[in-house]
Formats: sequence, structure tokens, C-alpha cells
Amino acid sequence: MKDKLFRDILPLVAKPVRYTGNELNMTTKTWAESKCKMVLAFPDVYEVGMSHVGSKILYGLVNETTGHLLERSYAPWPDMESLLRQNRLPLYSLESFKPLGDFDVVGFSLQYELSITNCINMLDMAQIPVCSKDRAENDPFVIAGGPVAFNPEPFADFFDAFLIGDGEEVLPEYLDLCFATRDLPRSERLLAMAKIPGVYIPAFYRAEYMENGTFKELVPLRAGLPERIRKRVITDFDQAYFPARPIVPYMNIIHDRAVLEVMRGCQRGCRFCHAGIVYRPAREKKVATLRRQAEEQIKSSGYEEISLSSLSSLDYSGIKPLVKGLVEDYGTCGIGVSLPSLRVDAFSIDLANEVQKVRKTTLTLAPEAGTQRMRNIINKNVTEEQLIEAVQAAFKSGWNAVKLYFMFGLPYEEEEDLTGIIRLLKEVKSVGNRYSRRPVEIKAGIANYVPKAHTPFQWHRQNSVEEFENKKQYLLKAKGKDKSIKLDFHDSATSFMEGVIARGDRRLIPAILKAWQYGCKFDGWTEYFQFDKWLKALADSGIDPEFYTCRARGREEAFPWDFIDTGISKDFLWQEYEMARQEKATLDCRQDGCNDCGICSEFGIGMEIEGAEQ
Amino acid sequence: MKIRCEYYAGPELKFLANLDMMHMMERALRRAEIPYALSEGFNPHIKLSMGTVLPVGLWGQNEYFDLELAKRVAPEWFVMQLNAVLPPYIRVKQAREIDSHEPALMKTINAACYAFIIQGVPLTEIIQRMEHLMQKPNLEVKSRGKKKDVVKDLKAGIYKIEVKGQEDSVIINLTVAIGEPVNIRFDELKDLLLEAGIEERNITDIYRQANYVKIMEDYMTPLEKVI
Repeated sequence: MKDKLFRDILPLVAKPVRYTGNELNMTTKTWAESKCKMVLAFPDVYEVGMSHVGSKILYGLVNETTGHLLERSYAPWPDMESLLRQNRLPLYSLESFKPLGDFDVVGFSLQYELSITNCINMLDMAQIPVCSKDRAENDPFVIAGGPVAFNPEPFADFFDAFLIGDGEEVLPEYLDLCFATRDLPRSERLLAMAKIPGVYIPAFYRAEYMENGTFKELVPLRAGLPERIRKRVITDFDQAYFPARPIVPYMNIIHDRAVLEVMRGCQRGCRFCHAGIVYRPAREKKVATLRRQAEEQIKSSGYEEISLSSLSSLDYSGIKPLVKGLVEDYGTCGIGVSLPSLRVDAFSIDLANEVQKVRKTTLTLAPEAGTQRMRNIINKNVTEEQLIEAVQAAFKSGWNAVKLYFMFGLPYEEEEDLTGIIRLLKEVKSVGNRYSRRPVEIKAGIANYVPKAHTPFQWHRQNSVEEFENKKQYLLKAKGKDKSIKLDFHDSATSFMEGVIARGDRRLIPAILKAWQYGCKFDGWTEYFQFDKWLKALADSGIDPEFYTCRARGREEAFPWDFIDTGISKDFLWQEYEMARQEKATLDCRQDGCNDCGICSEFGIGMEIEGAEQ
Repeated sequence: MKIRCEYYAGPELKFLANLDMMHMMERALRRAEIPYALSEGFNPHIKLSMGTVLPVGLWGQNEYFDLELAKRVAPEWFVMQLNAVLPPYIRVKQAREIDSHEPALMKTINAACYAFIIQGVPLTEIIQRMEHLMQKPNLEVKSRGKKKDVVKDLKAGIYKIEVKGQEDSVIINLTVAIGEPVNIRFDELKDLLLEAGIEERNITDIYRQANYVKIMEDYMTPLEKVI
């Protein structure tokens, strides 16, 4: 297998290093001596999958702290796929070059709704039946986790199990059980798995619908099955496992640096944010822990940069001492610190100034909306003054390009919210021209808003493709001919499909399968996304996609994802939705007292604010 | 202090691009805690310069890089430190201090030897075909470099062809020019062999066996040829 790859196949593909493995710090465990053999399949190319922090954690956790084995596999780029298929070679793992079908468990990380076609395609390339009902006793268990698994229903037939919540908690237990039950029949093993908190076995449930087509309920088909699946949460995040010896790839990957996960979760409560809900509560690591983890990683990897990762790293309570400490430790050997997401305020710019030795090319900030009214609706607690202060500070200290992220198609959007985006961009440009010595360049990334399950906007209707397109034209027209402001839009058709699946149910399964059969894959990549094929697949399955996107839901409507218990009550989400309608902000519970979202009381834990306690 | 190293990059790493190889080396230098010198400026970087680019698809038996150090170290120590942290398929073979004014590897290396491993063809047949090849007045191939498909004559740049037989495999060593008088790429050599009647499926491996500083008829390695 390996010889054939190296001789006949890899010389013919683009970026062959994607497929060769053997990187520094790769773990090779003895196959025969390992208990459960799992492959972590990432439904995107190597350079994307290798940048995913969760995969790094699980890889190290399973291989270093358990008797199980965890290898890696990524979606081959279409050139490699066709060569593998032509040569009848199955998709393999990068460690042992074994076909995915030889493993006990194939686990997919679902980071994006549309990556499902790649999951199906990878299973097919591995010659594993793509639907769970067709899998035989000897086939691997195909499982999935990650943020998208919080609405598992549109994918229910493809996976034998979903693992909900923090993987560090649930995956080792799952593998232990998988090993302990190895002599039992598959159906009995699945039944045993269903008893692990956080594990959802979709085949044991039936979905029922109302006459008007809305969801009714999920009925357990056997006694003793949980009615709700509660996500798993690491309670002592500071002490949680984090890899000291990350794999160092040979090729350039998207995030090619050492990573510190300073915090998990975020308590800001932006109403559009899916991650903000599903990763609650906010948990931090101690500064000392992070400095130790930085040292271990730098020693074992030789990386030239350390990145502070989380949903909002500038909110980490120990950000100042941490950054100061890292600069002290590594500044002299040319190792830099990077802050991937900056908060919209002058403090963030000052801190970025202290650490970022890189050329000051483009500063990226996310005000998300163009008017204060809309920022109140989405609960993005940033004011125009803060934004202006931030860009002022940036232009003064040498940046001459700014990229601002916005969304449109947001709930209760009016014309002035769109013109507000353009007005804000022009304002930022005039600040730039006042403070920067060179002409400034303003870029705006303007995303189509897609309402997500488990968020306060889960009841709201999504804009149609036509509405998105009209608004795009409107924004372009409002911008006028000013060439120093550039608008960058997302593909409306892609957002539409993302929306269908994000709030979808089991009835979408045949359409997803058809879409893949019609040739859909790499749907997150504009050059591969084929909207016509998706529409055909939906039509051929008798599905009106706008039922899922362009329909406002009522207060009482049951949702297919309600049974996934994030710890946040549906009442709280509705209350937040009401607050949005009233254009009222909900303040950060860290500063302003508990908002009673339910997470802390439900899980019997509190936010872990560790960074400041040094 | 400036140091010059000779290293081996095995077949497992043959798909690495030049930049990948450089990053890998820089990261190893950091792990090994080598006292490398940093460039000045906003974005300080390690002053590492690689020899002629090892093309993707090729591995190398004797490759070279120069490195500037912030303080004096024993070359033996340097080799030991670095080898302790390098991935298994790459090894520093030797190192020596060079003068800070020593011209860059890219400028001095002007010849290289490429080895083609041929299986399933009798030794005598290969020898015959190579002899026939050398008798031709010119050796024209389509350029694989920037000026794609321009026909170029490799004759003046082919210095030596040696054929060595082993049990069931034969090595053809082609020592050729880099840069002047004609820049020869390994894929152009491969085209030449294909034209000489050797079939693609019989070429089982290709690697760069040596890099040379050629002066008149003397072939010296970049470690041998220093001021």
C-alpha cells in the first residue's frame, strides 16, 4: 500500500505531503497491543484538519493516557480521490496506512454543516457502508462529535453514535466501553453505549411530525433509553489534558503554530452565536498552567509562534500577565505571540501592539452590525465609540489596513442597518486618513446571517437567497465607487444550504444522500459547491428547503434538537429572543451578575475564572 | 560564526517542498536550542540558507545548508544536538565552520549527481543504451523549467554517466551541470532516459546523490571546497 502510494500515486497529486504522515511527534502505537483502534476522520483537507485544536487534544489524550489507539485521516483532495478510486485503494490512516475499515471506530469531527458530504464520501472511499443500518458486525462504529453534532438529526442515518459535548470527557469512556463489549453483538454494544451520558444512538429513536409538517417528538424505541442527551462538560478545565507534544506538519497548514487554549466557552451572550451557547460555561486556565504548556510545546515543536486561542481571548481574565510572561520567556529567541481575535476596544490594540512583532498589515475587528440598534438586537456589546477608539489607536501605531466583519440578514433588519455598515466603513476610513501617514485600505467581510439551533434566534426566519442577493446589491450601491473600501461577501446559496441543515431534521437524510450521489463534496469550498445539484437532490426527495430556512417558528414549536441538552434552558433562549425584539442588551454575566441561563445550576458548576488569580 | 552542514534527507521526505524543508530545519534548530543568529528588524528570522533546491519528488543523500550562529560552537556538538531532535528520516552527516565571507551555496554549487534506480532491465542493455545516448551529437528535451516546452540541448551539461549493476537493480548516475553552461533538471534527465528507451515503470527511484563545486575537472563537495 505505502510503496504503491509513494511510487505510483503521490508523484501525480498536488501537495503530496498531505498524504504521507510521518510528521514530527506523530504517535505510532503497536496495533496488536492497543485495545480499541480508532481513526479520527476530519472531513476536510489535511491543512484544515491539522489546524483543528480539538483533534490535537483528542489525539494526544487517547494515545498518551489510554490503552486505545487513535490515528488520523483527512479528506483527500479530488485529484487524490480519483487516483485512489482508479487504483482501488481504500482511504487509509496516516499513521499505519491501514484502511479505515480495519479500525473499531471511525470518528468524524463535525465543524461545519456542509462537511457531511465529505463524511459520506470518506466512508465510501473506505468501503464502509455509508448508512448505519447497512453496517455489518465487523464494520467499524462510525461516530461524530463537534459543534454541529448539537443538531444531529439531519445526519441520524449516517452515524452509529453521536458524542455530545467536550470530547475529553466522553471519548475515553466510549472507547473503554467499546473495548469491554468487543465480544457482544453489535446491537447489544450500541445499547450499552446509549447508557453513557452524552452518547446518542439515533437508531434507537423514531422522529414523529405534526400534520402541519413541524416536528412533534423523538420517541425512544426501547425501554431504558434517555429522553434527553445532556452534553458532557469538563469541570476542571485548568487541569484538563492538553498536548505537550503536538504533531508538527511538514507542509504549511492554516494555523501553523503552537496553540494555547486559554479559555473554553464565552459568556458574552451574542444572540447569533452558536458556539457561545454550546460551549458554556466559560472556563479559563491559570496563567501558570498556560506558561507551562507553552514551554512544553515550544520545546517539543520548535514553533516560531504561539497563538492564544478561544472564542474571545481578550476576555481571558489573565490576558495581560500571560502575554507579558510569554513575551519575557520567548521574545529574545524570535518566538512571537499572536492574538487571533481582537476585541473591539483600545485595550486590545495596545496589547496587540506589545506582542505583535509581525508587520502591521491588516487589523481585524468584528463589530458585526452597522447600527447601535442592531448591535443591541444581536447583543454585541460594542459601541461605535469603542470601535473608533480602537481603529484610531491602530492607525496611530502604524497599521494601515483594517478588516471589519459584519453580518447582514439579521433579525429585525431595516434599511438603515445596511446603510449603517457602509457609513461605519466610511467613518473608519476617514479616521484612518486623519491618523495614518499612508492612504488606508478598508476591507469588510460581510457574511450572510444563518440562524442556528440552540441560539435565541432559532425561532427566526432566515433571509432567502433572493433577499441576500438584493441586500448585497444595495450595499454595493451604497458604497459607491470608493475603491479604498472593499466589500467581501459570502456565497448566498452556500449560506442557504447551511441554514437548511443547521435547523433540519431526519427528513433531510435522503436529500443529503442524493446530493452526495449527484457528486456534491467539499461543499465548504466555493469552487466545489454545486447548488443546482443540492436543489435537485432536495426536489427529488420532495423537500421544500424554505420550510427550514424562510419560516418563522412559534413560541410553542418543538424542535428536532430540543432533546440535546446544552444546559441552557429554552425559556432563557426565548427570553433573549424577546429582549432582541425590544432592542435591549443583556450584559456579560461575569461583570453584571447572573442572567440565569441555566448552565451553572444545571451542571452544578460555576464559571471558572482562573486567569486573574495569580 | 558561520557553519556549513551536510545532511541526508531520506525517501520518506521526498515530497517536501523547499520551503517545507527550511521550516522543518528552523524548527529543529529551535528545539535543539542552537544559538542561532537572528536578523534585525520587525520580523526577526533565523539566518539559514539552503543549497540548491531539492525538487519535490526527490530525496537527497548529500544536501547542504549554511547557518549563522550568534556564538561559537564546536561543529561536532552542533551535529549531535541537531540530530537528537530531527525527525528520523533526516540526518546531519557533518558540519564545519566556514568563513563569514564564503560565497553562498546557491552560488558555488554548479554540478550535481542524480541517481536513477532501474529495475527489470538487464545491465548490458542499459550500458548499451547509455553508450548510444552519449554518442548523439545533441541531447534535446523539452524544457521543464520556466520556459516550458522550449527545446533545449543538454549535451554540454552532461559531464558523466556511470552505470552500476546490483543483483536485480541498476543505478545510473548522471553528473550534470547546475546553472552554467546549461541548467539541467532531474525531470529533464528522466525525459532523456525515457527517450533512450528506458520505460517509466522500470524507474523505481530517483535521488540526488551529490552536489558539487566543479572546478575544471575537479569535483569537490561544498564542504571540501571552502576558502
